[in-house]
Amino acid sequence: MFKKIMALCLACVMLSLSLASCGKRGEADVHVFYYTYSDTYISSVRSSLDKALDGAKISYQDYDGNGNQTTQTEQIQTAITKGAKLILVNIVNTGSDDAANGIVSLAKEKGIPVVFFNREVSDAVIKSYDKCAYIGTRAEEAGKLQGEMIGEYLRDNFEKVDLNGDGKISYIMFKGEEGNNEAIYRTQYSVEEANKILSAAGREKLSFYDKSNPNKYLVDRNGQWSAAAANEYMTTALTSYNEQNKNMIELVICNNDGMAQGAITALNSVGYNTGEGKMIPVFGVDATTAAQELIKGKKMAGTIKQDAEGMAEALRLVAENGLAGRSLVTGTEKYDVDSDVAKIRIAYSKYLG
Amino acid sequence: MTAIRKYREMSRTQRKEWMRELIINNSLYVFLIAAVVVIQFISPNFLSGPSIVNIISLSAANLPIALGIAGAIILTGTDLSAGRIVGLVACVSASLLQASGYPAKMFPNLPTMNFLLVFLIALAIGGIIGLINGFCTAKFNLHPFIVTLSTQLIVYGGLLMYLNIGNNNGQSISGLDPSYTSFITGSFISLGSTPIPNYVWYSLVITAIMWFVWNKTTFGKNMFAVGSNQEAANVSGVNVKRVIVLVFGLAGIMYGITGFIEAARIGSNSAATGLNYELDAIAAAVIGGVSFVGGIGKIRGVILGVVLLRLIFVGLTFLSIDANMQYIIKGLIILVACAIDMRKYLVRK
Repeated sequence: MFKKIMALCLACVMLSLSLASCGKRGEADVHVFYYTYSDTYISSVRSSLDKALDGAKISYQDYDGNGNQTTQTEQIQTAITKGAKLILVNIVNTGSDDAANGIVSLAKEKGIPVVFFNREVSDAVIKSYDKCAYIGTRAEEAGKLQGEMIGEYLRDNFEKVDLNGDGKISYIMFKGEEGNNEAIYRTQYSVEEANKILSAAGREKLSFYDKSNPNKYLVDRNGQWSAAAANEYMTTALTSYNEQNKNMIELVICNNDGMAQGAITALNSVGYNTGEGKMIPVFGVDATTAAQELIKGKKMAGTIKQDAEGMAEALRLVAENGLAGRSLVTGTEKYDVDSDVAKIRIAYSKYLG
Repeated sequence: MTAIRKYREMSRTQRKEWMRELIINNSLYVFLIAAVVVIQFISPNFLSGPSIVNIISLSAANLPIALGIAGAIILTGTDLSAGRIVGLVACVSASLLQASGYPAKMFPNLPTMNFLLVFLIALAIGGIIGLINGFCTAKFNLHPFIVTLSTQLIVYGGLLMYLNIGNNNGQSISGLDPSYTSFITGSFISLGSTPIPNYVWYSLVITAIMWFVWNKTTFGKNMFAVGSNQEAANVSGVNVKRVIVLVFGLAGIMYGITGFIEAARIGSNSAATGLNYELDAIAAAVIGGVSFVGGIGKIRGVILGVVLLRLIFVGLTFLSIDANMQYIIKGLIILVACAIDMRKYLVRK
């Protein structure tokens, strides 16, 4: 008897929990699929977009793909059968078009608009369906801006940064994950652009701190862009590359701010970047609140701001267009839209405090 | 002494056989020494003071979680929720110990708390989740794999919700109070010119306590008894359910300690903190001879396993070997280590 009552109670609790979490939204019109809730930048897009959609009185439901394309595709299938009127997709798998094509054909069957955002899909996917659009950044722009920022910083502070005075800046590079376009471009362009500026100023190009590493980067093996990975690489590297050995790492470039923060914690433990005294310039991308604080405290040199609110605003606008049956790109003149395909670009900007 | 006498009494073929057994049974140590020599030869900084301190401190940070999980393995169980518990505790500790006046503070009106109080909260969170794991395992007769698979998901959900409360909006938690970071990562003893972070000492103390618990207490003896044969332990008067609950509770406390250290060690805590830590910890434990057969395991084995995994990480980074190779090497080592252990176990039987 007792067990039965317990089971009943438990079932009631579960039912009320699930009703409480979805009840207030009722039947949602817009379904939003995030690639993972654990990504810091995506979290700020989510809270901005929730606010924007609430403000526009659009009903919506959020999903967590948890970094798994299968999970996400199944969520989309279910949402469409449930009666979604429009879907916003932060796709997990950017490596090939297969996943995106699958999602587009699901939406096509019911004739509902699908908007991809943040993680880019190819032009061919967008063009394959008239009710399809993409909102994001130019993948290469973050890396280029970061490189520019690094180049300018080094040009103006060369002697100070070049600790061993050999006329060359030795750098370390932390890559967020393998096979992700954003990560690849950031890793490539940040160094290329910085080198352009250094060459123009008559300086030597950047040199990777570890001559025997042909990749010229260290990657988070879990693909999590995590502070912990950068921290452990950095502490390990600092044991053999330091000022006593006259081969100190003089510049730290990171694919995102989380990794930058991990590297800074490692530098702190050997007495650098504490806000006073010696500082190794560390650069990131995202301009998270934590990074902004570090820059303010002179523990970090700079970052690139990715505009979460701007992204949310654009998504709201496009969602309204889609629900009203207008062309998705109506009224997007103020944005940078690709000329031949419905891809709306949100601009990055430099953040130096 | 007896070993030497025995060796003298052996015939030539017996001696050969004996040597062969010795090398196979200790192949992990042989591999370890060979690897260190090779890496040191190629990259002479590998055994420099700072590098040794680095290997020790990386190992120290990963030791408590491995010691906790080893207890679960001794009971022929496992614990998949460990990493997420570490993540939750790390985020909670960090959020309660953000420096006052830090603009992106999660709870802006929270005064600076005493880090020892937060440490107790960390232990409590880990301990309670651990007790729940143990309770469900013992009470409902479920395999811990299933129980901890469930709690892993529940804890992760809780962590995601926690990151969204206050004015945090899912951001990573940082800007920690200096009293906290200096307690964990500060240093009062240096090796040469390299400071040894304080958490190394905490880890040592915890290891000593765990050694005492495993080897010198009734609870520890009961744990091994339950692990090697539940029925027999039950018949001889051991309260099996109580032992299971306590082993998981103790493991939870170990994850709490790991999380408390991790938060300050890394300085940036997000939902990704702790991801897959349990897999490294399980790997370390089984490499060190804690057997899934149950009832077998030693503290020094766990330490060896943890250090070996960190040595691989540091060594391959020193050699600039592609990260992909690290997976393959790790996988092979786990396989070989367990095969050797099983061989020893069968011989003994």
